[in-house]
Amino acid sequence: MNRSSRILNSKVAGYSSLITFAVLLIAWIAGFSSRLFAVIRFESIIHEFDPWFNYRATAYMVQHGWYKFLNWFDERAWYPLGRIVGGTVYPGLMITSGSIHYILHVLNIPVHIRDICVFLAPVFSGLTSISTYLLTKELWSPGAGLFAASFIAIVPGYISRSVAGSYDNEGIAIFALQFTYFLWVRSVKTGSVFWSAGAAISYFYMVSAWGGYVFIINLIPLHVFVLLIMGRYSPRLLTSYSTFYILGLLFSMQIPFVGFQPIRTSEHMAAMGVFVLLMAVAVLRHLQSVLSRNEFKKLFIVGGLLAAAIVFVAVVGLTMMGVVAPWSGRFYSLWDTGYAKIHIPIIASVSEHQPTTWFSFFFDLHILVCAFPVGLWYCIKQINDERVFVVLYAISAVYFAGVMVRLMLTLTPVVCMLAGVAFSGLLDVFLQEDASKRTGSVMNSVSETDDLDESLEKKSLYDKAGKLRHRTKHDPTHEGGMSSNLKSIVILAVLMILMMFAVHCTWVTSNAYSSPSIVLAFHNSQDGSRNILDDFREAYYWLSQNTADDARIMSWWDYGYQIAGMANRTTLVDNNTWNNSHIALVGKAMSSTEEKSYSIMTSLDVDYVLVIFGGVIGYSGDDINKFLWMVRIAEGEHPKDIKESDFFTDRGEFRVDAEGAPALLNCLMYKLSYYRFGDLKLDYRGPSGYDRTRNAVIGNKDFDLTYLEEAYTTEHWLVRIYRVKKPYEFNRPSLKIKDRLIPPTNFISRKNLKRRKGLIRNRPTVVKGKRSLK
Amino acid sequence: MTLLRNTLLCTLIVLGGCLFLVAAQGKLKTGLSLAEKVENLVEMNMKKPLLRFNGAKFREYVKNAPRNYSMIVMLTALAPSRQCQICRHAHDEFTIVANSYRFLPIYSNKLFFASVDFDEGSDVFQLLRLNTAPVFMHFPAKGKPKGADTMDIHRVGFSADSIAKFVAERTDITIRVFRPPNYSGTVAMITLAALVGSFLYIRRNNLEFLYNKNLWGAAAVFFCFAMISGQMWNHIRGPPLVHKTQNGGVAYIHGSSQGQLVVETYIVMFLNAMIVLGMILLIESGTQKPNNRNRIIAIAGLVLLTVFFSFLLSVFRSKAQGYPYSFLFK
Repeated sequence: MNRSSRILNSKVAGYSSLITFAVLLIAWIAGFSSRLFAVIRFESIIHEFDPWFNYRATAYMVQHGWYKFLNWFDERAWYPLGRIVGGTVYPGLMITSGSIHYILHVLNIPVHIRDICVFLAPVFSGLTSISTYLLTKELWSPGAGLFAASFIAIVPGYISRSVAGSYDNEGIAIFALQFTYFLWVRSVKTGSVFWSAGAAISYFYMVSAWGGYVFIINLIPLHVFVLLIMGRYSPRLLTSYSTFYILGLLFSMQIPFVGFQPIRTSEHMAAMGVFVLLMAVAVLRHLQSVLSRNEFKKLFIVGGLLAAAIVFVAVVGLTMMGVVAPWSGRFYSLWDTGYAKIHIPIIASVSEHQPTTWFSFFFDLHILVCAFPVGLWYCIKQINDERVFVVLYAISAVYFAGVMVRLMLTLTPVVCMLAGVAFSGLLDVFLQEDASKRTGSVMNSVSETDDLDESLEKKSLYDKAGKLRHRTKHDPTHEGGMSSNLKSIVILAVLMILMMFAVHCTWVTSNAYSSPSIVLAFHNSQDGSRNILDDFREAYYWLSQNTADDARIMSWWDYGYQIAGMANRTTLVDNNTWNNSHIALVGKAMSSTEEKSYSIMTSLDVDYVLVIFGGVIGYSGDDINKFLWMVRIAEGEHPKDIKESDFFTDRGEFRVDAEGAPALLNCLMYKLSYYRFGDLKLDYRGPSGYDRTRNAVIGNKDFDLTYLEEAYTTEHWLVRIYRVKKPYEFNRPSLKIKDRLIPPTNFISRKNLKRRKGLIRNRPTVVKGKRSLK
Repeated sequence: MTLLRNTLLCTLIVLGGCLFLVAAQGKLKTGLSLAEKVENLVEMNMKKPLLRFNGAKFREYVKNAPRNYSMIVMLTALAPSRQCQICRHAHDEFTIVANSYRFLPIYSNKLFFASVDFDEGSDVFQLLRLNTAPVFMHFPAKGKPKGADTMDIHRVGFSADSIAKFVAERTDITIRVFRPPNYSGTVAMITLAALVGSFLYIRRNNLEFLYNKNLWGAAAVFFCFAMISGQMWNHIRGPPLVHKTQNGGVAYIHGSSQGQLVVETYIVMFLNAMIVLGMILLIESGTQKPNNRNRIIAIAGLVLLTVFFSFLLSVFRSKAQGYPYSFLFK
């Protein structure tokens, strides 16, 4: 009996580890391949805006080495200020791909750094799903872990930031986030220094990778704090938190960009406060065991009040003295949701910083968003130390995701975990074959059945013979009224829903999140063929080939990284929006008249101006549509020169046609976008100068540029580049060649010998000092 | 002869009288001198930061030259019988701006704030050809107000900040708005805390309910419902409750994926709640002791889950153009 059960146990263990391995492998492969749409449709290319900077920095690091990179002063950005790159980036991403590149080259595998950058995020999605599995296993059960792992592999909310080519911090940061949380939960469970030191190291990686590390350093103290309130203090908690906090603090201060922030800004103060509190609680606990009850009570009251007063005074005093910086605007806008709209237009102008509709929740998470409250409910029902953590994680993440679309990314892992708990609980109930096995908590049971179903969900449909045999054998009436028919219907329905989830994920990934946005594709409605617009790269390549190496290019900040990355030219402003007044100056130049902006442009040494214009093909993300933000940002710094109200019509409309506001029709951005557009007839029936994006005939058709000249316009007019003339090119009173001839007139002189001397008849006599009478 | 002399005398007298009258009228028309006006205004301003004008005073201080000061005038209708809800808000905001200006170091006699109520100076409304309220107008020191001197409240709203911005635009006097701290929030918080505290104190011997997991669970799940149904979006953007369609019907669902209506979010919240309930019922049906009720619970859970999920999916589908999938029904 004993021996046979041991054999059975080892057999089960073998099977379950095989299944675990298989499911995680399949999840990795599925996650990797569903992120490849963009590569297959277009090519292996870096996407969007920020990734271009990361790529450029990585290439620089690979070429020049780590220390050169750390000291890199980029004079090609933010002209004439420049930018200290080494001290203003999170270097984790560059180090990761740089070291992969190094290892591969040591192994004599010649891979270009670009390909590593393109495929980094999909590879890391597999690691994310493994760490999600580990975390969920710690929190609930291995079955739920497998569900969570396969959910997070394909869920659109995470794919949106980690498709191939989207080479951004978030791609590796979510892995670091989940892994840190796993190690933290492990260390709370075991109370071992080993795991909490591991958590601190993983936290260090997270700090080096993404600014979202603030989420960790606030969530973990919150966890500790809530545990203290709930009276769940234990020496394990003391060990793990104090180790984690001190090591994590020291590690995080090693990143140059973070520096002394962890001890000087309010975002990090909660962690310190909880650390002090935990110490106080530990001391009190110790005193309680030493002192008598009365003494302790007195000490508790006096000491508690004194400590609270000291801490309060210290925090307020330090904040007043400016040692501790108050909340920065970006974080403040998370609490006071109307703050950014009023005070920081540059944050409000980014579409990722908008609140989230229910639509995008469902779009990004599908059934998981409906299922995760179930997991939350059961976590609260069967609470323990580590489930407190996941509950807090879920509630804070769902709040932040509601405030900002962008933070959907931090919600996604916890939703996957809790939905995994829900689905695994559900299938636990309905795949259970024997009533006798169901005694005890089903939710906690570690059975291979849900692993099995997991693989069903991944569509590798294999079934164990044993299970079918059981199901056919048992008596339906024995199951407390739940017939096997009902069970199979429920399972079928749940599997249908999960299948719909998989299909939805693929559809969303393919349609919404797989466009590189520097190469545009559109379907021709007539013959259904796919056309590719490669105007951006065309323009950047033109710049790199036809302009001087040190040419300075002015554009709106969105295109700064791309110009630097692809054309390798100096830009004035870019996506690292650290200097608002510089951006406002560019905005002012764009929204002033040509003459006024010429003086701004000469003061900034601008050689070329680049604008994005979508009116020909109907591209809605162009500069005219962004123009109001330029005006707003410019107005914030130069309220006397630029007024937003001037750019609206009397009825408060923003329109580009003949009824548009005169300030708009004469500003530089308008002129550069619509120069010679009035002559263009897009359609045989339609009028000339018809803007397809705004569906209007432009108002100011016939104008010439004085201070600039058109240098290049791409095939579909998407990018237009103008050269700024030097002062001698327009200031000289020059005559064109055809004007230099004196025009022949039919004037015949009447002068003859008699009237040689000219006389004016009826010459008016001027009398000084008197008004001439009429 | 005497007749002639008499007539002359009479004419003289009449003429003189006329002259006198004309002179007197001229004197009346000039009214107060500039210095007097400024002095009066400053004096009035000492008492109240926001001056209140009737028709006569408006003509005296605002309409008539000479002036060397700018005037920001709010034309409003505050009487309850006029039923102007936003006038009250506008008045509050305007008062905040006027107060902030009054106690700033840049306060001078170059700019005054005034308000004219419709019931006290309806002639002013006729004079300016206005038939709506509230209207904010700037009367520059020289010349007449132009088009841009009327604040466009439909576009910029009438919050104190935008009024201050308007003032800065028109007069180059930048007013830093100082809002009197709003104590209502604090008071509400203190009341709430006191209530909760006293409640806990009364039940101090029976604090079992704090350990009630169902209560906590329900609160957490409800919070999640509120967030995932986009209540935060509603809070920030303030969408309308429902839309009116062209053919007179009422639309509960916003047509595009970019927006949502308040009722729509409640519907979605309900659908989500039903799906969650369905799943919980399904799980509960297996965890209890085997009996006949389980079967009914399981069926109910299954129906809730599938039907409401299909509903949710079809609502989603109606908002997403070209979304191909549906479940049970379209």
